[in-house]
Formats: sequence, structure tokens, C-alpha cells
Amino acid sequence: MEFTLLANAAIAAFAGWAMLWWEGRRGNADRCAGSLWDTALIAVIVGIFVGRLVEMMINGVMPWLHPGDIVLVRAGISTMGATLAAVGTFFWVSRREPVAMADGISAAALATLSGWHGGCAVRGACLGTVSDLPWAIAQEGSAVTRHPVEIYAAMLFAAAAVGLALWKAYGRPPAGVPASLALLAAAGIRLITEPIRPSLGGGPVWFYVLGIVVGAVSAVFFWLRSRNPSPEPQTP
Amino acid sequence: MRRIAPLLLAVVALVAACSNTGPAVDVDAPTPISGEEMETLLATSTQPLVVNVWASWCIPCRSEAPLLNAAVEGFADEIRFVMLNVQDSPSGATGFIAEFYPDTSPPASDLMEHYANASGDIPVQLGGNRGVPMTFFYGPGGELVSIHFGVIDERTLALQIDELLVR
Repeated sequence: MEFTLLANAAIAAFAGWAMLWWEGRRGNADRCAGSLWDTALIAVIVGIFVGRLVEMMINGVMPWLHPGDIVLVRAGISTMGATLAAVGTFFWVSRREPVAMADGISAAALATLSGWHGGCAVRGACLGTVSDLPWAIAQEGSAVTRHPVEIYAAMLFAAAAVGLALWKAYGRPPAGVPASLALLAAAGIRLITEPIRPSLGGGPVWFYVLGIVVGAVSAVFFWLRSRNPSPEPQTP
Repeated sequence: MRRIAPLLLAVVALVAACSNTGPAVDVDAPTPISGEEMETLLATSTQPLVVNVWASWCIPCRSEAPLLNAAVEGFADEIRFVMLNVQDSPSGATGFIAEFYPDTSPPASDLMEHYANASGDIPVQLGGNRGVPMTFFYGPGGELVSIHFGVIDERTLALQIDELLVR
């Protein structure tokens, strides 16, 4: 059992729950008939499972030949597979009111990502590429200082989550825009931290670029739609 | 049923596409090595080394094999990758190597140095019976840089390899 990984996941879950609780007191989920927490939890579990299967297949380990390997989450989860599965599951579960539910979960999703990256400290996995900056950190037994890349990511995600939550609470953003901006922020933060994250083959940069494009386009779409709402059908 | 049929077809197509239908790869059994010989190998190396201790029956070893494969592809020119098979049978070891290290060009199994501990145990010089998998990172001359117990993830492997290269 990988307890440090579980502790990291618990920190992420708590961060997401805390944001939902804070927003809930300000009417965040009033427009949603479904439970944001339950829906998000189902989406995350499906995402982790599918992401693990995809990672195994990418690495040439077929899940149906080695089903026991599926539980070895530590060996890797495909970011792309997990994200697509989690987002797909979320929208399928909340298909009756997808925009309201996506807006409702947007800040909490960023807070969860902040908790996930910030929780790197419990499993000793915060460091990235070599750096001489004053705040660079060396790993135990080494004189080589490195970027605390996961802390950078955690801070950026936290700033984005708080900013979005405050905007939702006090700014009355058009429907669909918060979720679009959350996607844009998540993909953008992963993209800018990727070059200083240790990796054997480089992360899925094109996937993050795609996320930025989709987020930006959908934000503009929802914003324009809010300015030019389609006329209500007239009843005779 | 109409709704499920396309999904079933997609799953069958995915299974067919992903299944390994290539010819079996012939690999040599790992070279027997004692603890003292391993110590000499480490001490006389002019390159940094990654030593992975594994067994074919070990599920986490199987999970980290693709990562080691990727590492070998990227860093075989600068780092020696020593794979130490322990507590295993020769047929189990060769079967594992053939299954998990044949997919690179040249085959990763040629770039890795495969050994088996003659006594079947993890040498005391490598921490003794702490269980598999274990991955050791050594500088030139056998200077121990770090040890990772249990299945290794991509981030940790990449970071420790980078640590070997920048020291």
C-alpha cells in the first residue's frame, strides 16, 4: 500500500471539498440539481482507473493479461486518458445541466489540483530541473539545487482557484465562462511548468495546448452567447 | 443491444490493435554474479549506473519495466543500466526479459546488462533482503547516490537519472 500517495490524494480531496464548502455557503450549487461532490468523486475515480489502463497499454502491458498491475497506480497514470475519462464521466453524470454543474465545480477542480501538486511534500516529489534561484531546493544527500516545480504549480492553481471563486461569488460571470476559464488555467499551468518537470519523454504538451485552445474558444463562445441571448420561443 | 454493439466492436478492435502478435524474441539467460562480483562491477565502472533488482514473479517489477525501457532508450550512452534478477528461475527471467525489453531499437535487452545473483538472494551489498523491486543509483566508481525501494515512478526515475548526470 502506498500511503504517501494516499495522503497526497487526501490533501487534494480536502482542498476540493473545502472550496466546494466555501462556495456552497455563497450559493454556488443553487442552480444545480445534482451533487457536485458526488459527481466529481465519481469522475475522479473513473479518471484514475481509465488513466491507469491507458498508461499500461501505452507501455505495452495489457490489462487483460496482467489485471493485478492495474492497482499499481504508483507506476503511472496517463494524464490524457485520466483527464478525458474524468471530464467525460462528469458531463455524462451531469448531462441534464452540464453548464451549471461544470461552472459549479470549476473553482473546486482548480483547488483540488492545487492540493494534489502541493501535497508533493508528503511523498518527497516536489523537485524539478536544476536551478540556481535563491529558493531552489536540493534533495536529501545532494548539493544540486532544483526548482520546487510542484510548489510553483500548487501556488498557481491556488491563485486561479481563489480568483475564480471570488469572481463567481461577486462578479456574476456568464454561464459557461467559469468552467471554460478553469480549463484554460489548468492546461496553461501544466504547460508552463512542464519544461521544468522531470520526465523521461516529456509531458503531453500538445494536449495542454489543446486544452488552452478549447478553454479559450469556449470562454469566448459563452461570453458572446450571454451578450446575445437567443430569443425565447413565443407561445401563441 | 444496438447501443452496445458499436462499443463491443470498438473494444475488440482495441484489443486486437494492442495485442502483441510479434514473433517471440530469443534472449540469453542473465549472467550469474555474486555479491562480491557486483561490488567490483560497481567500483570499476567509469560511468554512472542504475541498478534495478527484480524478479519475474514480482508484479511491481513488471509495472516499472516499461519506464526502465524508456530510460535505457534515452540514456544508454551516458549511464549503465544493470538489471539484477534475484530469487527467480532462468526460464522466468528470460521470459520476462523477452516480454518486457524487446521493443526498442536496438533491443533494450542488448543495452541493459542482465545479471542474476547466483545464490538467488539480494546481495548484502545491495541492501540484502529488502524485497523487490529496488533501484539503486550509483555515481562512477560505485558511489551510492540514492536508493528507491518499491515500484519506481517516472518522475522519480527521471529525477534520479538527472541527479546522476549533473553531479
